[in-house]
Amino acid sequence: MLPDKWKAAAFPLAFVLVAAVLAAVPFFEDLFYQTFLTEVLVWALFAISFDLIFGYVGLLSFGQALFFGLGGYAVAIPTLKLGMGTGSGLLLSVAVPAAFAAFVGFFSVRLTGIHFVIITIIFALIGSTVGETWTSLTGGADGLVFMPPPLDLGIAQLDLMDIRTTYYLVLAIVAISYLFLRRMVRSPLGKVFVAIRENEERARLIGYDVRRYKLLAFVIAGGLSGLAGGLYTLSLKYASATFLHWSVSGHAVVYAIVGGAGTLVGPVLGAGLIMALEHYLVNLLQATDLVVGAVLVSTLLLAPMGIVGFLRGRRK
Amino acid sequence: MASNLAVAVLNGIVWGLIMALIALGLNLIFGLLHIINMAHGALYMLGAVFSWYVIELTGNYWLALCVAPLAVGLIGLALERGLLRTIEDKPLVTIICTFGIMLVLQQLALTYFGGTARRIALPIPGRFPLFDLQYPVMRIVIAAISAAVMVALWLFLNRTRYGLWMRAVVQDREMAVALGIPVHKVYMWTFVLGSVLAAFSGVLAAPIVSVDFMMGREILIMAFIIVIVGGMGNLWGSVITAVVISLIHGVGSIFVVPSTATVFSLGFMILVLLVRPQGLFGE
Amino acid sequence: MPGDAILVLEKVCRNFGGLMAVNFASLSVRKGELRALIGPNGAGKTTLLNLITGIHAATAGRILFKGEDITRLTPDRISHKGISRTLQITSLFSGLTVYENIWAAAQSRKRFFNPLARPEAWTDVREKTGRMLELTGLADKAGAVCSELSYGDQRILEMGIALSTDPELLLLDEPTAGLSTQESMALVKRMRAMLRGQTIVLVEHDMGVVMELSDRLTVLHYGEVLAEGTPAEIMANDEVRKVYLGK
Repeated sequence: MLPDKWKAAAFPLAFVLVAAVLAAVPFFEDLFYQTFLTEVLVWALFAISFDLIFGYVGLLSFGQALFFGLGGYAVAIPTLKLGMGTGSGLLLSVAVPAAFAAFVGFFSVRLTGIHFVIITIIFALIGSTVGETWTSLTGGADGLVFMPPPLDLGIAQLDLMDIRTTYYLVLAIVAISYLFLRRMVRSPLGKVFVAIRENEERARLIGYDVRRYKLLAFVIAGGLSGLAGGLYTLSLKYASATFLHWSVSGHAVVYAIVGGAGTLVGPVLGAGLIMALEHYLVNLLQATDLVVGAVLVSTLLLAPMGIVGFLRGRRK
Repeated sequence: MASNLAVAVLNGIVWGLIMALIALGLNLIFGLLHIINMAHGALYMLGAVFSWYVIELTGNYWLALCVAPLAVGLIGLALERGLLRTIEDKPLVTIICTFGIMLVLQQLALTYFGGTARRIALPIPGRFPLFDLQYPVMRIVIAAISAAVMVALWLFLNRTRYGLWMRAVVQDREMAVALGIPVHKVYMWTFVLGSVLAAFSGVLAAPIVSVDFMMGREILIMAFIIVIVGGMGNLWGSVITAVVISLIHGVGSIFVVPSTATVFSLGFMILVLLVRPQGLFGE
Repeated sequence: MPGDAILVLEKVCRNFGGLMAVNFASLSVRKGELRALIGPNGAGKTTLLNLITGIHAATAGRILFKGEDITRLTPDRISHKGISRTLQITSLFSGLTVYENIWAAAQSRKRFFNPLARPEAWTDVREKTGRMLELTGLADKAGAVCSELSYGDQRILEMGIALSTDPELLLLDEPTAGLSTQESMALVKRMRAMLRGQTIVLVEHDMGVVMELSDRLTVLHYGEVLAEGTPAEIMANDEVRKVYLGK
């Protein structure tokens, strides 16, 4: 057994180490890896926002793509059509999806189990159908291409047409979001979430308004999914109605399950591993979904708690 | 106008009967195994894709109608035995697992069948006059076959020992075990039956729509809508809902944009889920 | 000494379909007393507890707690009014440790959960959790995942959870169900040590436990209140004997 002091120091050390390695990448590698890692980080953020509601509250939502896609448009449309700045776009990419999540969640948290899964799919489908039809605003399936104006931070202007700058911006935002979520799931609020996941009736009987906490988690997750979508759009300079399709939520589900739901670090790991696997196998097999699906199914059968859950179980 | 309406009504009924078969398969699997089978649309797609291959090889649609569902039934058997058996009692896990299976099957179809949509020639090319338009005879045949399969399914569930077992398991699983019904075997054959139904409707749909590796994705959601509105576990609720929804969708599309019709039917489904989660025809 | 009425049921009804599970039940529980609720299976005892805690809504009648109408409140609101309960089938946060189970209940009286707060900083909740662990006698098993506990310990843990919400009224639904006589006795002993003058409504089949613990008894039969009185009075009641002896 490690002394408690060491244990307490383990996370900050590991976090700083990983962040430092990621921050050092642009000094050693060509642009390809920066683009690739930007994408991994964005999907990791999407996956941990999903992990909050699935892994901690126990709600399986296949509708997170709605908030992801909305986050993208919340950046693209104001900058492209209203001439707004990238900073306000990023704020909107949290606020707009969070507001939609409040609306969707208000109805959805009344349902449980598979009914909840299905209603979230339907809401996302309504979103993608509207998005694909309302082409004057969204560009439909072809999407909107735009050039984000420099991000004004007061002390510096960040040129987001530069791949390296974008990479650092995404790295910083994802790291902060991760710390925020980690702090939250360990806070007393997080303990309410976990209690609801473990036994809704018991949680209600000891005084927790279960629907209210589910809604709260759903809104936070929606806002962070939106932020992921906003960052994705910023890095691609492109937003599309196809991002709204419910099946895009599958990315978050797969990364969280494979890495280990309810751990936060698991979904990040899952995103990194699967995307790396996809990247290396794409030339070999031309069939990335095959690998993703196979990895997902075998995880469910062989290590239902995911990679992190499996490792923790073995350590015990 | 009258002829347009007549065509829309006929199309609605034909398509409704095909959808009913798909939804019946999904609903049977849900009613018995409590599995929301996300791969159901992919099994429907596989039925259509297999039939395309059989027709390429032999030129015989009717042979394809027999062979393709059997082949998909075998796949269903393998999936149930190999994968779903161990996680059957965890509904959320099975949803995720069947989602993974869907990804794999779609990708396999893309890899081997390709990304382009292909058409199947009408096995019965004739048309009959309908007001001032011509309507394909084949569609009427397809509708008749769907209806016949449903009658056969009804007979199977009500007149055979296996059907009786299946209904007993739906009613009360523990009691069924106590009565010595081989529940796991019933699960297995139900999943196979559901897969066969999905594939069969895929073959039936193939001459009407084009065969495409993504064709199951939207169908899956339509089937969900039907099963929920008709009531999960309520088979005849599914049949009625399938036909009614297709008719409304078909006729409505004359007057409004299809996507508007889609949004309205999705909104209606949310309403049903919130107000009557047991479905319109459930108790 | 028992004082004023803390819980009053006025002609409370509940039907499921055509079945009257609770039929014009009226009763009054005084502060500080231990009231046992007995009756044959299907008499409506658990349903009555479900009505009091808001799990089911009463079809008619009123439920008053400390003079306040709680008939239409949801379970979480009722918990905050000061009513807590255990369930017939043990209901725990089964994947969490004993410590986390108690903690979840101990922090439940807080009104606001700052998402950035550190739980270690909540010293009052920490102390309360420690105190409750001592009371339940499960302190040495605090780190164990509660699904690994013995059944008897799980029953005690559930009682500990229920008590950690600082209830004034505690409803216990067959706490000794499924326990051996020996385990039942241990549980009753532990229960006595844990209670601090809370009013108790106890549903129980074990008449030995009922007679030993209760101040007064209410007998339910087909959803109706058949009789009420001290244990001695109930034992002497002819109607009750008829119901229990089936004659």
